[in-house]
Amino acid sequence: MSALDILMVVVRVAFSAFIPLCFIAVCVWMERRGAGFFQDRSGPNRANIFGFRAAGLVQNLADAAKLIFKEDVTSGHIKHKFYFVLAPLIVFFTAVVSFAVVPFADTLVLGGKSYLMQGIPLDLGILWFLSFVGFSVYGIILAGWSSTNKYGVLGGLRSAAQVISYEIPMGLAIVSLLVVYGTIHLNEIAQFQGQLLFGFIPMWGAVLQPLGMVIFIVAAFAETNRTPFDLAEGESELVAGFHVEYSAMKFAVFFMGEYVALFVSSAMIVTLFFGGYQVPFLSTATLINNAKPVAFLLMIAVPVAMHYFAGWIRRSNVSHYPRENDPRVFEAEIYIKCFWGLVIFLEVVLLLILFADKGGPAAHIFVMLLQMATFLVKITMMIFVYIWVRWTLPRFRYDQLQRLGWQTLLPLALLNIFVTSAVVVALS
Amino acid sequence: MGATVKTLPRKGASLKERLYLIEIVKGMATTFGHFFRNLLDNRRLYVRHYPEVQPEIPVRWRGRHRLTTHEDGSVKCVACFMCQTNCPANCIQITAGERLDGRTEKMPVKFTIDLLECIYCGYCVEACPLDAIRMDTGIFSVTGDKRSSFVLELSDLLASKGAFAEEDYKKGGA
Repeated sequence: MSALDILMVVVRVAFSAFIPLCFIAVCVWMERRGAGFFQDRSGPNRANIFGFRAAGLVQNLADAAKLIFKEDVTSGHIKHKFYFVLAPLIVFFTAVVSFAVVPFADTLVLGGKSYLMQGIPLDLGILWFLSFVGFSVYGIILAGWSSTNKYGVLGGLRSAAQVISYEIPMGLAIVSLLVVYGTIHLNEIAQFQGQLLFGFIPMWGAVLQPLGMVIFIVAAFAETNRTPFDLAEGESELVAGFHVEYSAMKFAVFFMGEYVALFVSSAMIVTLFFGGYQVPFLSTATLINNAKPVAFLLMIAVPVAMHYFAGWIRRSNVSHYPRENDPRVFEAEIYIKCFWGLVIFLEVVLLLILFADKGGPAAHIFVMLLQMATFLVKITMMIFVYIWVRWTLPRFRYDQLQRLGWQTLLPLALLNIFVTSAVVVALS
Repeated sequence: MGATVKTLPRKGASLKERLYLIEIVKGMATTFGHFFRNLLDNRRLYVRHYPEVQPEIPVRWRGRHRLTTHEDGSVKCVACFMCQTNCPANCIQITAGERLDGRTEKMPVKFTIDLLECIYCGYCVEACPLDAIRMDTGIFSVTGDKRSSFVLELSDLLASKGAFAEEDYKKGGA
């Protein structure tokens, strides 16, 4: 095992372990500011460090400090304290681990060796994801049961029933996908989506399997316990559902697990249906061969984008009431300088690419970084869709939820398998 | 004479609506419109930047109480107990004493209002025959760090001034 091998292992594990954790902060921030903007409010924008509010991100720090220093109550009526503590850990652990098989860049070829860019280089692919997502509901059921609280038990019960009804359409939607892709390996699925249909449409799962995409996304919403399927914690009837007895960090672990699950399920939707890490219209080989033109175009595009972004920051980050020597204007100027610094750093990196060998290791690494960035941008957009849906749709009633799962999604998924298989057989 | 019956059409039965997805997309377009408008220009948020920007308090708004005074600064209240009797929350406690300045016979020695009990109904203001108690201070946020700080004494009630001009207050339906 050479030093490069060890470095690659560290990089891959670090990416797939820390990026979901970092995205907790991003998700919470997007959720709150997004909710505010969807409802014509401003969202949290007051918490600051020396006047710097970072568009509301500092609020996350304040919340974290609050949750860490709050009293961690375990009520006396709870008999099974071990399971009570274990439950949030299961939810959090399964959510983090299920990201391990998602590829975040194409296979990296360095020094004649190829490295699979995912946390654990397993061939299990989508089966690993399905098994861990299915397992995470045990955390919720266990939490509801061990709380010895009727609201908790009802929340856990609902969650169990919901997961059973939605695992099946989700699995069947994946079956029809596997018929199309012919592999369970997520990296091969992403590579497949790098091709072009009729020469101009990206061959994404969304194009090949529109019905499967709708079924999978609906089921994924139910799996992550997000609105409109968040019956397990329906506060209007169940107070807080399965986490009603949890406080402080135990609650925070549930909360974080929920957001990691949101991130992972967005990553899964992106990998299966929106081309994964593929840059639209540009496959990995094209990118490696044309690394220099791409880098040159980026060198022009990034400062232009930054110019408009700076204008937006300047317009948005002001006090909306008369105020002498508005400190927010100064704050905005500091942010703009930070972002320009970042842009200059990017420009230097891109310049190095321009002077590097054609098709050499620098081009490979550049393409890898580009694909990682694309992947994260796609995931962020998918998370936005989750948030968007949450602040648009009301919660389903429980019987409507079951009817949708069993009477609508299940037959549709079966029909989808049938039609897809017929088409695949006819074409081959 | 029967009541007029208006039959409202029930929505949600047509195939287009039962497909859910079309209606969901329409709803999401609406919310995204709001999001995008606010993202581009956050001046348009329907938000008052409290506490920097205070809300406008209308004259008839029932704020924290005060006791009015004559021109010479002596208290108007004659300790008739009308407000205390009329108070549905029993938050007013008056102790009457002899008045020596010749205006009337009685005056309050102690006049306490427990704001934690008060429901801000304004019955005390309506009951007062001498316009001695008013709720026109415009104070809407009462804060304190202990219970006793919410119990207003006679001196506190006399200290606060009305927030509006006298003619506006009279016009406001007092």
